Amino acid sequence: MTDDEPGSSSLRPGLAAVALFGVLAAVVLGSASGFGDPVQFPAGESIVHNIGYALFDIDLGGIPTEGFLAAFLIIAIALDVALDSAVYLAKREDDGTIISALTDGGREIVDGDVAGAADREVTGSTETDETEQGGDR
Amino acid sequence: MVPPEYYLLLSSGLFCIGLFGILTRRNALYFLMSVELMLNAANINLVAFSLYWGNLTGQTFALFAIALAAAEVAVGIGIILALYRNFGDVDVMAAATMRW
Repeated sequence: MTDDEPGSSSLRPGLAAVALFGVLAAVVLGSASGFGDPVQFPAGESIVHNIGYALFDIDLGGIPTEGFLAAFLIIAIALDVALDSAVYLAKREDDGTIISALTDGGREIVDGDVAGAADREVTGSTETDETEQGGDR
Repeated sequence: MVPPEYYLLLSSGLFCIGLFGILTRRNALYFLMSVELMLNAANINLVAFSLYWGNLTGQTFALFAIALAAAEVAVGIGIILALYRNFGDVDVMAAATMRW
């Protein structure tokens, strides 16, 4: 597993993040009076119902919004594609190997072990244990 | 009503925490979580200003952003799984030799 212990190497990114937050906070607080008076939703209107109407582009709601039917269908397709691609990435092939996506230069993986691990063991590489842990169990 | 500046400050903080995670973490799972934090920072703004202006477009758009985040996580976890199988680790730096 990756050693993610925070150390001195995270000092600079931390300072950068804090600096960015400072800039954003200064901008937000500097423009505090620029938002105008709040409008808010009409009393008695159901927000959930109105979101449903907006999703299907139905003019029944009392809260102003836009139609999102096209976006709804596109997101449905995108979610379907994402599900299919996740399954594709995770599945094993019939012979027990995993799919070739994201392979390390085409190394063959057989029975949960990366081919070539023995070669690295001969050469005394310290990555052998990590590689063996990474089998497709 | 809570002034919108507080929502903006909250989302700024959340965004910066996510940015810090992306800049420092090497574990791909932490990486994904950090990206989610940044996406949710945007969602907070959308929902807050939707309430402020009395317009539902922001809230509906936030729903789509959440759906896209779910799609991203699905693909991301699939990639992490393949990464672990091939490299024995989920270190994002370990895939430097990845090529077609």
